Amino acid sequence: MSKIIEVSGLQKSFGELRAVQGVDFYVEEGSLFAFLGPNGAGKSTTIDMLTTQLKPDAGEATISGYKLGREDDGIRSSIGIVFQDSLLDPLLTVKENLFVRGSFYNLSRSELKAAVARAAATADVGDFLNRPYGKLSGGQRRRADIARALIHTPKVLFLDEPTTGLDPQTRKNVWTTIRQLQKEQGMTIFLTTHYMEEAAQADYIIIMDHGKVLAGGTPYELKERYATDLLKLMPHNAEELQAYLQSKALDYMIVSGVYHIPLKQTAHALPIVEGCGANIAGIEIVSGTMDDVFLNLTGTEVRS
Amino acid sequence: MTVIARRNLKLFFRDRGGVVMSFLSVFIILGLYVLFLGDTMRSGLPDVPAADFLLDSWVMAGILAVTTVTSTLGAFGTMVEDRTRKTIKDFTAAPVKRRSIVGGYILSAFVIGVVLSLVTFLLAEIYIVAQGGEWLPVGAVLKIIGLILLSVLASSSIVFFITSLLRSQSAFTTTSTIIGTLIGFLTGIYIPIGSLPEAVQLIIKIFPVSHAGSLIRTVMVERPMELSFAGAPAESAQAFKLDMGVVYQFGDTTTTMGSSILVLVGTAALFYLLSIALMARKNK
Repeated sequence: MSKIIEVSGLQKSFGELRAVQGVDFYVEEGSLFAFLGPNGAGKSTTIDMLTTQLKPDAGEATISGYKLGREDDGIRSSIGIVFQDSLLDPLLTVKENLFVRGSFYNLSRSELKAAVARAAATADVGDFLNRPYGKLSGGQRRRADIARALIHTPKVLFLDEPTTGLDPQTRKNVWTTIRQLQKEQGMTIFLTTHYMEEAAQADYIIIMDHGKVLAGGTPYELKERYATDLLKLMPHNAEELQAYLQSKALDYMIVSGVYHIPLKQTAHALPIVEGCGANIAGIEIVSGTMDDVFLNLTGTEVRS
Repeated sequence: MTVIARRNLKLFFRDRGGVVMSFLSVFIILGLYVLFLGDTMRSGLPDVPAADFLLDSWVMAGILAVTTVTSTLGAFGTMVEDRTRKTIKDFTAAPVKRRSIVGGYILSAFVIGVVLSLVTFLLAEIYIVAQGGEWLPVGAVLKIIGLILLSVLASSSIVFFITSLLRSQSAFTTTSTIIGTLIGFLTGIYIPIGSLPEAVQLIIKIFPVSHAGSLIRTVMVERPMELSFAGAPAESAQAFKLDMGVVYQFGDTTTTMGSSILVLVGTAALFYLLSIALMARKNK
């Protein structure tokens, strides 16, 4: 697969604050790419630079073959952005909004009409196309925002915290739409989030904090590298289990009578289980989560 | 550019409350005039025929000059709001030229200014006639329309310059309030310029919008002055013009329509250039 976004050494400071301190990464075409990090990590600043909103202090980026800073209009034509805040006009209807924003892309009248109809269908905004944007519910607004970002059929769709503040049902709907865009149209999706469970659905994740990339990989790779599986054992005879674990030189923690034993690999649980034999009253194997990855990398829980 | 202008127009006229607010200064001046300012001025003109017609025309001319400012101020509110709500990000992230965006704001403000001023003009004429005055002849109406276009151009340039410095909604509201309050004094409407001290007179005389006022007054009071000063000596008519800010005097020279038109053209050129220079610097 080819790289649709390539970033190297991207930097941005606001006075004393070094918001982004030399970031390198690439995004493969057609993938769902997630930028995970707490608020203030530098995610939005990075996105603002990639979407030509903010001029980087140093570094280079290429998006869809266009050089950032030199071919900005090329970049602007090939990206769509769903901003964190709603940026459509509340007093205009969804349709009017789509026509106004769509006219920025040098389309002929008939092309624009077709483009608006297509975007409206994809984002499923048909039911409220003629209602003022300001009177829509949060979920409807988000769908309208997505429709706006799709008008010019961009190659890359940026979504900055697309599901923040939405109810679980709507969040699921938004995700279904995002997934469809990636699968059916081969669109590259670049999203930022601070929800672990959302990042875990991406093809590739970059974890960022304090303006630096901490780690990158598929969710599986990250969990393999930075999270451990856990064997939870509930014994009939605690002393016997303790003696056994000590004899095998295994680390453990006791949480309300349950023994937590970290595992390098899931399969390592088997000999331990066999060794304990009839002493086991209850057993559970928990695989590592993105939360653990994040905790291990940043040393803190997700700040949200 | 026209797309953004059309959008701004829709946004402005759909916000009914905002449209009414743009007329607020006009209503306040009118209210003050009807309630007591008019009586005070009239008592200064005893035994003058058609005094009501004369004063009504005079105050309406001033209101018209003020409208060119307050209406464009309301119109540029969209620009400030786009900046504070960050809507502008959605524009600049699209392949649309910065100058088309700015041009769109200016064009829409100009159209809004002209439309609201024309409406005010129509209402003003109806008021004058309802109070026993005469309709303005067709030639004068055309002149007024021309002057409205020019005045809106000059006023919008000043307002655009001021609003391009504003970074928040509250700063905009505060500025609107200050301008709305001062504008009646700065153009010599609440109190005729002749009754003010020398220093204040100078401020009024160099304030560009006062020249819009002077121009519109010149056209609108022409006919009523013929009636009011029919048998009077020429000096008294000239004194009235100076007192009421129909013309201004700098030393021994008196302003003419030509010089006031020049002031407005110069103002428009100066402030639009300043704003463009300011914007070019910020983009770097």
